[in-house]
Amino acid sequence: MKDFFATFKHDTWVMPYLRKYKKLLALTLFLGLMTFFCGSALMFNSGYLISKAARHPYNILMIYVPIVLTRAFGIGRPAFRYAERITSHNWVLRIVSDFRKKLYQAVEKHAVAIRQNFQTGDVLSLLADDIDHIENLYLRTVFPTVIALMMYVLIIIALGYFSWWFGLLMLVLLGLVVIVMPLWSVLINGARETQSRQIQQGFYTQLTDSVMGLGDWLIAGRQKDFYQRQTKPIAEIAALRRKDHQFQWWRDFTIQLIFGVVCIALLIWSSFYWTTNSASSNWVAAFVLSVFPLVDAFQSVSQGVSEWPSYQRSIRRVNALDTAPTDDHDQTVLTEPFQMLQVADLDFAYPGGHRQIFNHLDLTLKAGEKVALLGPSGTGKSTLLKLILGDLQPTSGDVQLNDVPISRLQNQRAQLFGVLDQQPYLFNTTIMNNVRMGNEDASDDQVKAALKAVELEPLIQGLPDGYDTIVEEGGARFSGGERQRLALARILLQDAPIIILDEPTVSLDPITESHLLATVFRVLQDKTILWVTHHLAGVENVDQVRFLEDGAFDMAGTPDELYQTAPRFKRLYDLDRGREA
Amino acid sequence: MFDPALFKLPGMRRLAVILALLAVIEGLCIIAQAYFLSVAIVGLWHLHQLATIVRPMLLFALAWVARQLLVVVKNKLMYPMVERTSGDLRRQVMQKLYKLGPSYVAKTGTGNVVTTALEGIDKVQTYLMLVVIKVIDMMVIPWVILIYIAILRWREALFLFAIFPLIILFMIILGYAAQAKADRQYEGYQRMSNHFVDTLRGLPTLKQLGLSRQYANNVYQVSEGYRKQTLAVIKIAMLSTFALDFFTTLSIAVVAVFLGFGLVNGTIALLPALVILVLSPDYFLPLRQFASDYHATLNGKNAFAAVKKMLALPVPTDREQLGTNAIHWQADSTLNLQNVTFSYDQHQPALQDIQIRAHGYQRIGIIGASGSGKSTLINLLGGFLTPTPGAGKIEINGQPVTHLSQRAWQSSFFYIPQNPYLFHATLAENIAFYQPDAGLGAIGRAAEKAGLTDWIKTLPDGLNTAIGEGARGVSGGQAQRIALARAFLDDSRKILLFDEPTAHLDIETEAELKKTILPVFDDHLVFFATHRLHWINQMDYVLVMDHGKIVEQGTPAELEAHQGAYVRLRDEMVGVV
Ligand SMILES: Nc1ncnc2c1ncn2[C@@H]1O[C@H](COP(=O)(O)OP(=O)(O)OP(=O)(O)O)[C@@H](O)[C@H]1O
Ligand SMILES: Nc1ncnc2c1ncn2[C@@H]1O[C@H](COP(=O)(O)OP(=O)(O)OP(=O)(O)O)[C@@H](O)[C@H]1O
Ligand SMILES: [Mg+2]
Ligand SMILES: [Mg+2]
Repeated sequence: MKDFFATFKHDTWVMPYLRKYKKLLALTLFLGLMTFFCGSALMFNSGYLISKAARHPYNILMIYVPIVLTRAFGIGRPAFRYAERITSHNWVLRIVSDFRKKLYQAVEKHAVAIRQNFQTGDVLSLLADDIDHIENLYLRTVFPTVIALMMYVLIIIALGYFSWWFGLLMLVLLGLVVIVMPLWSVLINGARETQSRQIQQGFYTQLTDSVMGLGDWLIAGRQKDFYQRQTKPIAEIAALRRKDHQFQWWRDFTIQLIFGVVCIALLIWSSFYWTTNSASSNWVAAFVLSVFPLVDAFQSVSQGVSEWPSYQRSIRRVNALDTAPTDDHDQTVLTEPFQMLQVADLDFAYPGGHRQIFNHLDLTLKAGEKVALLGPSGTGKSTLLKLILGDLQPTSGDVQLNDVPISRLQNQRAQLFGVLDQQPYLFNTTIMNNVRMGNEDASDDQVKAALKAVELEPLIQGLPDGYDTIVEEGGARFSGGERQRLALARILLQDAPIIILDEPTVSLDPITESHLLATVFRVLQDKTILWVTHHLAGVENVDQVRFLEDGAFDMAGTPDELYQTAPRFKRLYDLDRGREA
Repeated sequence: MFDPALFKLPGMRRLAVILALLAVIEGLCIIAQAYFLSVAIVGLWHLHQLATIVRPMLLFALAWVARQLLVVVKNKLMYPMVERTSGDLRRQVMQKLYKLGPSYVAKTGTGNVVTTALEGIDKVQTYLMLVVIKVIDMMVIPWVILIYIAILRWREALFLFAIFPLIILFMIILGYAAQAKADRQYEGYQRMSNHFVDTLRGLPTLKQLGLSRQYANNVYQVSEGYRKQTLAVIKIAMLSTFALDFFTTLSIAVVAVFLGFGLVNGTIALLPALVILVLSPDYFLPLRQFASDYHATLNGKNAFAAVKKMLALPVPTDREQLGTNAIHWQADSTLNLQNVTFSYDQHQPALQDIQIRAHGYQRIGIIGASGSGKSTLINLLGGFLTPTPGAGKIEINGQPVTHLSQRAWQSSFFYIPQNPYLFHATLAENIAFYQPDAGLGAIGRAAEKAGLTDWIKTLPDGLNTAIGEGARGVSGGQAQRIALARAFLDDSRKILLFDEPTAHLDIETEAELKKTILPVFDDHLVFFATHRLHWINQMDYVLVMDHGKIVEQGTPAELEAHQGAYVRLRDEMVGVV
């Protein structure tokens, strides 16, 4: 119980929605109640009707009222049920849409570090599995339980009205069904449910990881290991489910037994209470027959409640996500045009790493300047770009645009920076849509012009679906270099003063590369460019080359200067041209 | 309504017969229970003493218990079959997935594949558990009850009999309508999970484009679209439940009224009338139970169909034309491709007339413009793509094969794809992925050769640091070097397929690495796709690709002399600065 309340203490996922759609909720519950009421009333009424008719009333009018009522209840039950089903599903699905959005927003806050903080399978299991569970929480637990409890109270009050001791007896017997059995179910079965959910979720994460790296499993020839990894959770889940089902069957059996006892108790009570005269004995059949429709309503409670622990897990998981709205109060916008990007005295280390990535780093970029950034793999070029974008916070030192700290300009980012990172992603939609993401207002012609600039026009025109070709997940439909160019086309459309390129021409052949770099620097002529590159092709286009090594800049200067003065640059240059050093 | 595929499951027919027999017994129990209950009620109606109805009450109780026990027994009989089937399906899906490989995943979407294998099969399990017993009950129990009612009084029986096909007809009509919508809903579901995975994987890109916040609405809309589809299905599925409910409850009401008139006229006694009244809900119960889970059944049926469709997809056969053991590639081994053609979409060949003669420990460079077909060629050599059947010939050591997805071939080469994937595992496990038994010492040496040692020293747990999704990030070049380390670790595979293994490396690191890579090439057959032309000097033979064709091939010296595509590419490089 304490556990139960603790789950909802800081809950932002279940309670608020119950409150938000209060009226619809009340309606759902009312309709559910009426469904069962009509079902029971129909049998009650029919029992009375034929008992009364068997007394051979001299006038048919004597049984007219029960006849009409029989029909009314007969129509009422299905109608209420239909209405109940539709409202409850509508209600729940609406909430689920809200959930999905909210979940996305929670994940989106960590967009930059998403690859470090989340595994795709993990979030997928949140989106597909946990949300489904919360949906079932309402449909299978909350609604049936509340409706059954209301029925329970009504029945006890009604029976207590005729005879208090019998009311008391039913309070106990039906209480076994609606209160004791469910609690017992949770106790016995809850742990199993939780465990099986845990395994299932691990399975999600693990399988997603395996599927994304399927190619490697294949070539490694580790077929056996691959199966083993997957079959282990399969067997574990199966074993748990088997026990789970066994338990459910015997529990339902027990509940049915209790209903058998209720029937017999009703018969015995009737034999005392309703056999005083022949008029009252007509009620015997009515009472006894009305029990059967109730079995349905009461039986589902135990199952619903025993699933609670698994829902609880889902609720905890979603509640553990950070859904607080982003703190925007210190955010400003840059009103005057961009003039200068300044990195001053920057120190940085990744948490948990032993290495200081930057030591007192300084860098100034004036509007319109073009800088190439080089350095050995793993020195921190990409990290520097993230710091400049404000995705990472420096340990000490500042990153400023026109004297405004970058951390205060986060809302304006997309207007200030156009970024092509090392792993640009293509979405599973058309070429057009993918490129247009760079600038949603771009016209079709502008998009096509950008595609032409990256030399993809002939290829695309040769495709059966042309510009509407679906690129598939991650751009799988295209070659490595083509993907890279599609991503680059997106940046060409983006109208931002600072362009940050992290290896824009990786996977391109020298000819395409040099064409493309020429295009980039022509199209982005009046922009400020920070360009990370691994070799020297196209380096003549920049004003300044900087080498990053061991957390600081090692060489800097114009390409020409460096070629003349720095032997290392000359060596690199030769290496790049295919001459051995 | 009933999926014929179910009967094809092994052991199903026998089980169905047993379940049907049990259903007959259950029907008899239901009759006994109704009869004795009515006897007791009628006794009280006649104002008899409690003692006189003790016997019928006990018999009622007995029949009631027996009936409930039968339900448990039926479930117990059914379950092993369901468990076996769904377990088998899951295993088959995994095996199939392995056989279909990454190109299937790329086409179908990761989210889709994962949810089919997990949620989908869960739905199948529920479906199997529900549908078989319910359908059999529905086909047996009403008849047993109906026969008994007919014995008591044929008029009511006739009415109940007549209403049954009417209800079924209604359900079939509505069922068809619901099915069509449900198919679409299932697609919607798959689209949604694909959409989520797609969005999540691209989230950093969305953020950079400044679209990530507004994408929340996109997620909401996709979800709302799915809600509408679901609701459309539910409306119709529930409508069939409604029709059913309506007819059954109304039938019960009509029967009650009939009986009432009969009683008033004295054509029937109270006992048979009461028995009929008690039995009539039970007559409809199996039908109602079937319908109440109809929606769940539809989902399960669709999932079942989706799984079976996946299982039926063609996979390369004849994978053992070279036996099952790895090929022992030697200095005199040969690989010949003649006029091999391949196309992704039957539309335009992606590879045309490929002629390759590779032998012994050659180093073969593959160069060409972006999109010219280098990766496609490497994938074809790796057997991940199947050449157009009938066109061309492939021979390994003189033995013809229809494709290269040969088990023996695949376990003798090593492949580094253009974008290697890092698993969510420790660095050591990632490096030793192809040789899970390798010791830490060997792994360390491989990492050393890949130039990773300095970096590993800075890691808190060294080789045991967790990397990959959901763990520590690594730089682009580091990821590529981890993939290279995999190759260094495994010396038993004598064929190397490298697809731009150094694309993400800076020149200096690459030059360093070249020193350790080159010795490895000595006793290997190497296919090396690259854009960095300085590697060409180290190659024995070069293939120049353009638009899916090999336009030039020869030793670097020959190509140099030939003034063709190779020379053009080379000149472009030299023109730097
Ligand atoms: N999220 C992270 N957590 C911890 N360490 C990280 C993280 N991302 C990168 N690193 C480490 O920080 C260092 C710098 O990484 P970065 O990606 O900036 O390198 P880079 O200069 O861009 O290299 P490359 O040219 O190979 O892409 C590397 O040693 C890397 O392993
Ligand atoms: N799955 C696919 N379906 C259809 N066409 C494809 C698919 N994958 C690649 N292609 C097309 O086949 C052609 C060759 O692609 P491939 O990946 O082999 O090029 P590549 O030479 O490796 O190029 P890069 O140097 O850019 O990696 C390209 O035009 C590409 O668009
Ligand atoms: Mg980088
Ligand atoms: Mg390629």
